[in-house]
Amino acid sequence: MNINHGLIQRRQIVNNLAIALSAVATVIGLFFLFWILYTTLSRGIEAMSWNLFTMNTPPAGATEGGIANALVGSLMMCGLALLVGAPCGIAAGIYLAEYAKLGKAGGIIRFVNDILLSAPSIVLGLFAFSLVTALGGSFSGWAGAFALMMIALPVIVRTTDEMMRLQPKQLREASLSLGIPLWKVNTQILLRAALPGVTTGVLLALARISGETAPLLFTALGNSFFSLNMSEAMESVPTSIAKLAMNPDEFWNKLAWAAAFLMTSFVLLISVLARIILRTNKAAND
Amino acid sequence: MTDNTQTLNFKVQAQGLDFFYGDFRALKSINLDVREHQVTALIGPSGCGKSTLLRVFNRIYEIYPGQRATGSVLLDGSNVLAPGYSLNALRSKVGMVFQKPVPFPMSIFQNIAYGISHFEKLNTADLAVRVEQALRQAALWDEVKDKLKQSANSLSGGQQQRLCIARAIALQPEVLLFDEPTSALDPIATSKIEQLIAELRRDFTILIVTHNMQQAARCSDYTAFMYLGDLIEFGKTDKIFTKPNNKQTEDYITGRFG
Repeated sequence: MNINHGLIQRRQIVNNLAIALSAVATVIGLFFLFWILYTTLSRGIEAMSWNLFTMNTPPAGATEGGIANALVGSLMMCGLALLVGAPCGIAAGIYLAEYAKLGKAGGIIRFVNDILLSAPSIVLGLFAFSLVTALGGSFSGWAGAFALMMIALPVIVRTTDEMMRLQPKQLREASLSLGIPLWKVNTQILLRAALPGVTTGVLLALARISGETAPLLFTALGNSFFSLNMSEAMESVPTSIAKLAMNPDEFWNKLAWAAAFLMTSFVLLISVLARIILRTNKAAND
Repeated sequence: MTDNTQTLNFKVQAQGLDFFYGDFRALKSINLDVREHQVTALIGPSGCGKSTLLRVFNRIYEIYPGQRATGSVLLDGSNVLAPGYSLNALRSKVGMVFQKPVPFPMSIFQNIAYGISHFEKLNTADLAVRVEQALRQAALWDEVKDKLKQSANSLSGGQQQRLCIARAIALQPEVLLFDEPTSALDPIATSKIEQLIAELRRDFTILIVTHNMQQAARCSDYTAFMYLGDLIEFGKTDKIFTKPNNKQTEDYITGRFG
């Protein structure tokens, strides 16, 4: 046989080049992630203490303080946004995947949902703001949670829709062929099979909204004091970072860095958790 | 037509059955009489309509818009395609097993119990008895009795398929439809399923679609050969495989096409 050594050599060179470029790209991506983590940690290290979790935003010039008010506010608003957004999003996703998948309506809803998915969050914030003021309300935790829910919703709809459609057609047919009605098949069998993926979607939505600043600026506004009252202006971690970082006060800046580190780690943790859920489930199915 | 005494013997009858995927006519005036407590194999090249025919018998095709059947399918003499026929009743009488084993995302026990609980309200003890019965009937009990609470996904492919068979027979149906039940399995798992089908024949009327000619010859009593939506020849399996009347049947069976 006549082996073309020149061709083989060229392929090997191209192959090595491709691998090297991919490796460089990966390193660049990871480099920035670790750089961000390192910077936030090294600059915020002085403010990193239990005080961060137990004390409220200090007045300018203070030498100790924390972001407890922001953490609680974020927790409440994100929690409420998911509490309402997750069931709505999952239900809509099931509807899209199982009932409207073939019709025209399904295609249109999916398209509109995708637009909402990539809509600038400040636009959603403005919308929530104008809606709340039109209803006679003012800056409040409710409005903030509402704006965050609008951001979480399309993410959850999209993942649920996709995860439900990934389920084998035969699982659906096998369930129906036992005489089990469609609503039970959808909610008790297909949704359960898709649950790891759906949970991942909800977690990714959480990761997304926990870092959103723009929609909260017009809605929850921010609050330097500790508040559990959702009807009043409420602090959140991202708005708190914005406020703390833009002030010349040195300790405030350190607090901002510490809060930024905390938030980045949280998002990282959620993403890793989402991956683990997906992976363990995949291993169980193989 | 047949006289009364013979009709009693027929469990499922297709009469002038046509099937359409949109405008495409996939079944052309099928007439087929399936005898009670016998295994009837449907063979033919891909796209001949054998799976389509099977899917009419429990009306599973109805979940897809654009698919429709005309003519009649009699189950114990009543037309299951008639608008008044209860889908719930039909699906409890006609069970189906698919090509790919698809256990429900729950425990082995729950896989069987789920379907039963939908039709009957049983107490825990009775339900356990029924689950055991079904698993024994599907020759799976000895392999799973110690791990009923484990996820059904932990079973091997062959075990999963027997679990799917157990799930179908747990509802105590009268007819079982098998759609290429062994095409995703290895030879050992396949032979277990074939043995099982031979035993299930005592309690159920069985229809099996298969691409494997040896399988049809091994485990069926009657064989129907289909081609391009037509039922070409139907008769005793021995006869079809040794002395087919039709040239096309002979060509297919001897491997000259398909």
